[in-house]
Amino acid sequence: MLSLARLFLTLFVVLTVIYVSVSLWSRQVRKRKLTREWREGETDGDDMQAFIRKGLEEYDDSFRRKLILLVYIVPVAVIAYIIYVVNYT
Amino acid sequence: MVYIKWAFWGIVALIVIAFLHYTLPQRDIVRISDTYEKRIDFGENSIFWAKEDTGTATGQINRDVFFIQTIRKNGKPLVFRNEDTGWGWPPYFKFDTSNLQTEASDLRSTSENPKWVMVTHYGWRVEFLTVFPNAIAVKRVDDPDMTIIPWLNIIILLVLFAIFWAIRVRWRRFRRRRIDPMMAGADESWDNLADGARARRGRASRWFASWRR
Repeated sequence: MLSLARLFLTLFVVLTVIYVSVSLWSRQVRKRKLTREWREGETDGDDMQAFIRKGLEEYDDSFRRKLILLVYIVPVAVIAYIIYVVNYT
Repeated sequence: MVYIKWAFWGIVALIVIAFLHYTLPQRDIVRISDTYEKRIDFGENSIFWAKEDTGTATGQINRDVFFIQTIRKNGKPLVFRNEDTGWGWPPYFKFDTSNLQTEASDLRSTSENPKWVMVTHYGWRVEFLTVFPNAIAVKRVDDPDMTIIPWLNIIILLVLFAIFWAIRVRWRRFRRRRIDPMMAGADESWDNLADGARARRGRASRWFASWRR
């Protein structure tokens, strides 16, 4: 049980680091895209700050952002699958 | 400097390749001649042994380990150990050691009447350190000369390479954009500093030289 706890703890720490990095990176990319859009003239009549804020708020509620949660889900699913294949087939 | 750099990256690459070669699954077609169990006192080679059975006491200095003795198609012997990897490394999550030993015993055969078996395993056989590969699964095969395509390894290596490349490209871009300009600035100020020092030393050594005569 101790080794299981150790696995979960390690996994949680590593995946959290990945999750946070990917989140920050993704937001950065979004911001860069919004800036470019605004520069190219799709301003919707807002100034740059407001345009970017609106765009990021939209991103915060988006499904795309929730997809980053896959960082947690995929490894756990893979582990479950490996356990099944190695021990029960 | 260039040689040192290449030597460094060469060594890193070798370590990574060796690590992957040890950890990723390999499949061999063999004939099981017998199975046995032996007490192992772990010494210098202790890093090459896996875990005690999940749920049993940990941190023992010795324990009994299952082994599977096999003969390859070319007649050479290959001995596997059969241990739980449990929740630890490498991530095979193998808990069915005793079941596997039962299956392996069941598939024993003689050289006159061979039953060919595909053994999935990881690890190396190193005679000098008494190191054995760890068997993960055994499966009866009819044709010993079948071609085995390691799809899983291909996928894992591709994914690892994709991750490595994605990070590398981003890191290089980041370096070009942020660190190189900063280093250029630092270089310049270092040059100025060095020039200044040279000029000062020039003066000092001229002064010493005037005494030496």
